[in-house]
Amino acid sequence: MATAKEERQFAKEREKALKERHKAYKAAKKAGTLDERIISPEHIRYMRRRAIVSKVWPFFRFLILFGLCFVILYPLIYMFSTAFRPNVQMTDPSVIWLPKSFTMSNMIDVWETMDFGPTLWNTIKLNIVCSLLSVVVCAITGYGLARFNFKGKGICFALVIMQIIVPPQITVIPLYLQYAFFKGFGLVKLLHILGVKQIAYSSTQDPKVIQEIISPAGEPTGQWYVSLINMPIVMYAPAIFANGIKSGLFIFIFRQFFRGLPIELEDAAYLDGCGPFKTFIRIMVPNASTSFLTVFLFAIVWYWNDFYISSTFFTSNHTVALQLRKLSDTLDQRLFSGQQVGTRKKIVWLESGCLLSIAPILVMYVFLQKYFTEGLARSGLTGM
Amino acid sequence: MAETNNAAVETAPEVKAPKVKAPKVKEPKAPKPEKAAKPAKEPKPQKQKGLRIPYEKRKSLYAYGFLAIWLIGSLYFFVRPLLVSLWYSFNETAVKLGYMETKFIGIQNYIKAFRENTEYTEALLAVLSNTLWKTPLIIVFSIFIAVILNQKFRGRTFARAVFFLPVIIATGPVLSIINGDMDTSGYSGGADQFSTMFETDMTGALFNFLGVYNISDKVTDMISTVTSNVFNLVWNSGIQIIIFLSALQNIPFSAKEAASIEGATAWEFFWKITIPYISPMIVTNLIYTIVDSFIDPNNSVMSLVLARASAWYHGESAAMAWAYFLIVIIALCIVLPIINKFVYYEV
Repeated sequence: MATAKEERQFAKEREKALKERHKAYKAAKKAGTLDERIISPEHIRYMRRRAIVSKVWPFFRFLILFGLCFVILYPLIYMFSTAFRPNVQMTDPSVIWLPKSFTMSNMIDVWETMDFGPTLWNTIKLNIVCSLLSVVVCAITGYGLARFNFKGKGICFALVIMQIIVPPQITVIPLYLQYAFFKGFGLVKLLHILGVKQIAYSSTQDPKVIQEIISPAGEPTGQWYVSLINMPIVMYAPAIFANGIKSGLFIFIFRQFFRGLPIELEDAAYLDGCGPFKTFIRIMVPNASTSFLTVFLFAIVWYWNDFYISSTFFTSNHTVALQLRKLSDTLDQRLFSGQQVGTRKKIVWLESGCLLSIAPILVMYVFLQKYFTEGLARSGLTGM
Repeated sequence: MAETNNAAVETAPEVKAPKVKAPKVKEPKAPKPEKAAKPAKEPKPQKQKGLRIPYEKRKSLYAYGFLAIWLIGSLYFFVRPLLVSLWYSFNETAVKLGYMETKFIGIQNYIKAFRENTEYTEALLAVLSNTLWKTPLIIVFSIFIAVILNQKFRGRTFARAVFFLPVIIATGPVLSIINGDMDTSGYSGGADQFSTMFETDMTGALFNFLGVYNISDKVTDMISTVTSNVFNLVWNSGIQIIIFLSALQNIPFSAKEAASIEGATAWEFFWKITIPYISPMIVTNLIYTIVDSFIDPNNSVMSLVLARASAWYHGESAAMAWAYFLIVIIALCIVLPIINKFVYYEV
């Protein structure tokens, strides 16, 4: 196999040769000494068609790409256009894209309505911790699935596939009950015996009191529970155990990536006396750094955008996505004194809210775009 | 590796380590037998009592070590809720303080979902047919775009970044604001719905943006039906494009060279070289697209399931979700073997 650089060199040389041939052909035609053995009529037709296509195609390509890019970017352009526009100018027919004057007041309103500072900090904390945990654990699991033969491997892999396919909507209600009435395999009862009355991250609001389950007949059953709803642990715990958002997919990506690495790497390490875990940390992890970064970025994006799971488990614990989800209602409360107002009237604030909440992700994407696109391509998935 | 393996196999019958002891080997202890296995060539096998497990078996034990965290987690956070929800689907449920009260009623919930709930079958059919016509379109479209993005031109990186952008945005609640389905409070009705995406005249906007005004209505109508569908396509095919793009980059150069020497046109090249090489990825993308459209929280079956659940009919909601899920699985099982027949695997 030639390297990419060599291939480029070859391509250049080939083009040069073709051009020379073409020149010779033209010269021969002019001089009237066209020899069919130099260039056949089929070849001439082929070259002519190629010349036409290579002139016309870039134009069409530009049109197609421009149109589609416009389709994709339209909401973003619209967002930028409206977010800084005074509300009055929304109904001004002479304003289409560029507003006559710019204002930051929408942004400030939305910032205050969404309580953006603390919300952002809370989201970032939750996001980074969950993403880091799930990347590390998913990598370990993916490696285990990729490089070992053991009983039940098929079942384990089927379980991973199940985790990708099964929609979270199926498991979310039993999960909610698990968290809302958390018994912790008797751990909570133990806490009760030890004299702990409540667990809470802040004593003033939302105390988590340890309670006993009362049977329908009104008798205590001896089982104790505590509600974990609103505590960040309901997001951390699944992430620690590689069952967070989209973990199945991450495990799959890592498995594919580790399967693609040459087995000699490991054998060398084993011969030098490395145990499997040390081999994993010393040999495999450094090799997989790109795919670690890619999965990490995707984890961040998906945790950031998630509103379904977090809206089930959080009622007063705010994340950016949740705040954005109910922005329409909170805007009614704040700006229109509780009156319900149509979307058209508050579109500037909604769009500012959108812009504000995707801004961190967008900035990250602009700078790390390479790792999103190339990383996904290189780190597995394709190695089916 | 081979040495240690042989040594282990040779000496294993002599010592006859009882099988029960096998699970006792823990990770920190494990490197020992490996070191011990090497001097095993010299005749002093008595020292390694109890730790003699064949190499392959030892390795498989490590696998459980690697998978342990995930396995435990899956049992508690995935398998148990899954089974519980299956159990709910056969029960009448009522939430009580601290637990869920269940009363077994057989498949009543399923019968109810299909017979009594008229919306459910309708939504189910809608989602199925939607997926049926959208999936091939998405696949074809993303192959097309991937082929274009694989060519060399100025601004390629930018174009790639733009086509991937929907993946970053489309999963979040931002999309629903852009789509304009935020205001579902009922009072506003359809008239006041304001979408920045579908309701506004996209084509008109594009032409205005380009500075073209006053073209005939028919043309705009035609273009706008196409564009509103293109919109869905583009916003749903980010990942697929990337996967195809990487598959295209993996086509060996020798194949291209051979084709160009034989005088293949771009069209022939596409059908004879490109498609066979990326066909395994077509399967991957097919699965991804189908699953993605089925588990999308915005599709009508999913919102119905959620609506039943938030109305406290957990049993019925679970039944709906499970019936739906089984249909999805069956659909995948039918589609995959058929597609797999046309796939070219390079050996």
